[in-house]
Amino acid sequence: MSKRIPVTYPEITAPLRERTREALADAELGGNLRAAQASWAKGRRQMAEQHDFAAMRERATGIRRDNIARLPELLERLEERVRAAGGTVTRVADSDAACRYITDLAAARGATLVAKSKSMATEEIKLNEALEEAGLRVVETDLGEWILQLMQEHPSHIIAPAVHLNKEQIRSVLAAESGEAVPEGREALVAHARRRLREVFAAADIGVSGVNLAVAETGTLCVVENEGNARLVTALPRIHVAVMGMERVVADWSEAAHLLQLLPMAAIGDDAATYVNLITGPRAPDEADGPVELHLLLLDGGRAALRGTDLQDALNCIRCGACLYSCPMWRSVGGQAYGSPYSGPIGAVVTPLLEGMRGERSSELPFLSSLCGACHEACPVGIPLHDLLVRVRNRVTTPGHRRDRLRFRLWALAWSRPWAYRATRALARGGLRLAGRRGWARRLPGPGAAWTSQRDLPTRWPPRSPSS
Amino acid sequence: MAAALAEQLIAAIERRRGSGERCDAAGAAARVVERIRSWGASRALLADHPLMDALGLPVALASAGIEPVRWPGPRDPRAGGAWRGLLGLESPETACGITVPAFGVAERGTLVLEAGAGHGRAIDVASAYHLALLPAERLVRTLEEALVATFAAGRRPPSAVSLVSGPSRTSDIEKISTLGAHGALALHVLVIGEELSPAT
Repeated sequence: MSKRIPVTYPEITAPLRERTREALADAELGGNLRAAQASWAKGRRQMAEQHDFAAMRERATGIRRDNIARLPELLERLEERVRAAGGTVTRVADSDAACRYITDLAAARGATLVAKSKSMATEEIKLNEALEEAGLRVVETDLGEWILQLMQEHPSHIIAPAVHLNKEQIRSVLAAESGEAVPEGREALVAHARRRLREVFAAADIGVSGVNLAVAETGTLCVVENEGNARLVTALPRIHVAVMGMERVVADWSEAAHLLQLLPMAAIGDDAATYVNLITGPRAPDEADGPVELHLLLLDGGRAALRGTDLQDALNCIRCGACLYSCPMWRSVGGQAYGSPYSGPIGAVVTPLLEGMRGERSSELPFLSSLCGACHEACPVGIPLHDLLVRVRNRVTTPGHRRDRLRFRLWALAWSRPWAYRATRALARGGLRLAGRRGWARRLPGPGAAWTSQRDLPTRWPPRSPSS
Repeated sequence: MAAALAEQLIAAIERRRGSGERCDAAGAAARVVERIRSWGASRALLADHPLMDALGLPVALASAGIEPVRWPGPRDPRAGGAWRGLLGLESPETACGITVPAFGVAERGTLVLEAGAGHGRAIDVASAYHLALLPAERLVRTLEEALVATFAAGRRPPSAVSLVSGPSRTSDIEKISTLGAHGALALHVLVIGEELSPAT
């Protein structure tokens, strides 16, 4: 791996409407998304047949609500236990603080190569950019993430980041990376990537992982995966840095066992992930592998401010990705159109919250939903995502949305008076008659144009049968 | 009882495209050799565990032409960061990691591997193949039982515990599950117990 691969994430250049239009026009993307969704739905059906999913979901919902209610206490306990096991714990307020901690650590230890296993928290803090800027080489080792890193793209799904690409696209990316011909076929592609990335595991100075759950009782970090890269990343480099959203803590092993079983059921339609790595402190003195140093970063990034608000339930999320697959919007446009590390319904809720409602995405994403509620139904921890979406919408304060709100307020004011209601009705009817021909309006000016760009509007009721 | 749990464990692992069988202690070494041969592996990376010698594995492997390699101790140069050999980067990847799980969870088909001196946390994923030797008395029904016992109060928690439920796989290419992503390409579990030898 001699070639240095720069990671630059492009800023969002087009507005959401344009991004979704582009995604909808991409037939290849549409096919890939449909295949991915079908395979998820099949697994999900199998799980529902084999297990009492509803009962598991109910218990999990209770566990997560309780965890978040007791968050300060559980975090204190977690910190204490991780330190007792020989690890270092640091609370970081935001992305800058998190990235600075890791780049400073790398500089202090003279590290040059960082191997990463898939982690949404490090996507959120844009760690790769920060490491590259600090002159470090960073390599994603989850196959999907690695492919995206090579293509300089963002993940399109929490669990299956390269779900929008097909194997020929992937083959050409891998051939370009290695400068050698890559044989055809899925198995050959996987074997090729395995060999290339083993070089990275063997040489990396620092391994960076996320944390799916942390168990306060014993100070244990749980990292769930199917490939084996997270184990190698947390076993071979001398330093392990785990970046964890501060809400991902559970009280004890009974809770952890329950959620660790439910997570893969919701995420991939299997009742166990291939690997779950349970890490308590650095290696013991008599062990030959495992990190010598373990650093846990507890990331706030806007999370603490959600506690005690009507959006608190967003913190219950265990990042399984089920709401994405269940969402008719996400299924149509894929994750990249969202322009945020978190896409789909949960992304539309948390992106504005993590960005503090100021970001460009904050005014757009909560509106990328039909509020059908499929996300709530799919969620293994029962987050009322459709309610949260409405609440986030109410917090949006861009000029356009303020104008809309004023408009609706005036409308409500008018129509709560019978004379005003009748007057606007007469006005609208008269206007329609003028604009229409033979009972149908085909092109209306002003706000009516949005309607007639898609369909005709009858100018009298009952409408005449549509003329050709 | 143990036989039923063993069957449940094996069936769940088979659903994830791993495999398993029951046998008694006397027959275990022959089974191990047979399995490693069927994979075409030429080296066995052994956890440093008394069960290996009790089953006569090192001798059986060596006489079958399979090189037994002990997991390195902490001062072994291979453990000083020189992982290339163990990862199969210096020769074709042909190692089979042999582990002894602390528990086998019947309900979900999960092996609980505790890291410790001699039982490295990377044995199974550093190898191309993984063979687990599970004494039948270590079978439990649920994951909760296994984890609560592993992390019981009054005992220093192991620095790493790996739950393994199948061969390494990825679905990152077109959502189709493909084996051998970074960890073992194949997983075979041998449930060992005197009363467990399947009637033939």
